[in-house]
Amino acid sequence: MAKVLMKGNEAMALAAIEGGCDAFFGYPITPQNEIPEYLSRHMGEKGRVFVQAESEVAAINMVYGAAGAGARALTSSSSPGIALKQEGISYIAGSELPCVIINVMRGGPGLGGIQPSQADYNQVTKGGGNGDYHLLAFAPENLQETVNIIKESFDLADYYRNPVIIAVDGLLGQMMEPVDLEAAPKTEDAKEKKWAADGNSDREGGRNVITSIHLDPLELEQHNLKLKKKYDEMRAKEQRYEMIETDDADIVFVAYGSMARIARSAVKTLREEGIKVGMIRPVTIWPFPEKAFDELSKSVKTLLTLEMSLGQMHEDVRAANNGRFQLDFYGRTGGVVPEPEEIIDHVKRMLEKEGSS
Amino acid sequence: MRRITFLCGHYGSGKSEIAVNLAIDCGIDYLVDLDVINPYFRSRSVHERLAAEGVTLVESSIEKAPNSDLPVISAKGAVPFHDKSLSAIYDLGGTREGAKLVQQYRHLFAADDAVDFLVVVNVFRPETTDAEKIHHLIDTLETAADLKATGLINNSNLIKETRAEHIEKGEGVLTEVASARNIPIRYTFHEESVPLKGTFSGETRLLRRYLAKKWL
Repeated sequence: MAKVLMKGNEAMALAAIEGGCDAFFGYPITPQNEIPEYLSRHMGEKGRVFVQAESEVAAINMVYGAAGAGARALTSSSSPGIALKQEGISYIAGSELPCVIINVMRGGPGLGGIQPSQADYNQVTKGGGNGDYHLLAFAPENLQETVNIIKESFDLADYYRNPVIIAVDGLLGQMMEPVDLEAAPKTEDAKEKKWAADGNSDREGGRNVITSIHLDPLELEQHNLKLKKKYDEMRAKEQRYEMIETDDADIVFVAYGSMARIARSAVKTLREEGIKVGMIRPVTIWPFPEKAFDELSKSVKTLLTLEMSLGQMHEDVRAANNGRFQLDFYGRTGGVVPEPEEIIDHVKRMLEKEGSS
Repeated sequence: MRRITFLCGHYGSGKSEIAVNLAIDCGIDYLVDLDVINPYFRSRSVHERLAAEGVTLVESSIEKAPNSDLPVISAKGAVPFHDKSLSAIYDLGGTREGAKLVQQYRHLFAADDAVDFLVVVNVFRPETTDAEKIHHLIDTLETAADLKATGLINNSNLIKETRAEHIEKGEGVLTEVASARNIPIRYTFHEESVPLKGTFSGETRLLRRYLAKKWL
């Protein structure tokens, strides 16, 4: 297929279909409505399932059921809607079921607003639900990368038997960009899910049960340790990031999603003015790409975290930095999307302060 | 341009951007944003620029609260049908529901009024890649609006990856549609960074991106 011009939400929906999504369950919320809208038109054509549930809570529990039966299940929502789904997500992770969740983030807290935001970083990476669990969390910066990751995410969810979440800010959901669906990696066909509660009680080993309840503390501890092994494997294998002009940089930005695009533009302008800046762009936000920080040269002076939130990722940057470099932060929140000039001005103020001290 | 222009097209065809460009470049008096579906990239984001150009913007937000939407269309949108000295562009939502909004004005104009119903097409949008799909879209929009399309606008592009041959491809597909429906290709839009090659049956116009972020 040649390149087509698509809106982010449509492209994500199409990528899910191409990734082998069998069933979608969702409830409308701006700014992600084109995802269910697109799927409502196209899932049926392919003989797949589309349900507009009566609420977010119902939708995530339908995902739980479909995933338990062995289907490749998807839900999508935006920030407050994802908050409503947290209980179900915790159950899905606890029951070791694969599913894919798309979060098109808007301003918060509470009902917040409908403009783009990255203030769900904590919700996405630290889990809003209870218990020792993690989601494999991606935060792509353009539509081609988003499409590639969504296609791959169904394989990853199946491999780890764990939910995968793709968090993009509303801008990526609403913007138009050329995408090539065939440029995305080839998706594997879902392998037989021997654990699925699919009604087949004749199989060897008997009936399958999907549950997250383990009333014996020692048994639950063993279950948690088993989950931890998966999270350790994700930490070892799935940290993804991009290093941009970091080799000789004095100041290194840390930014993801749309903020990374804005920061790229600032890197280009500042480099043209002879100011040595670079960027670490996390592609996974859980596991956080700590390895990227080990690649930085000792000549780096300051890490500048840039977010469309008031510094949620900055805490992970602080931990990954582990005292090595000076830290600084610049962010806008509430649905305000900064312009590259604001970052450029912030860097110049940093340099002035440094010069005067 | 006729005094009144309804601009329609599949969502993502670039119709809002074209509405702003035409309003500014052609000295239009009223730009009426009837696209109450899209939350982002709306003409209201350039309301100051439009005001400076003498264009009156009518849209669905509450004054001074640009992200608040009311599911209502201001009655000001009907002014150009009553004051025949005014020119106007109506930017319609890109769906059947969006095109239906034309009907509220239907009783205000007679069949011989100078009204255009132009359909914006980008042949690189998956829903409008060939003549058959475009005919289907136009049929749907015409039925919903109770108005026949009077022309096409070629806005074929891949944003920053656009090359002259992409716009030519649009000309090819739209020529087929235009001749089957016996309507003209009214305009072909291109950005300054993509000089046109070859000949085009419609008037060629430069597109400035007013609504998209520069860094996108």
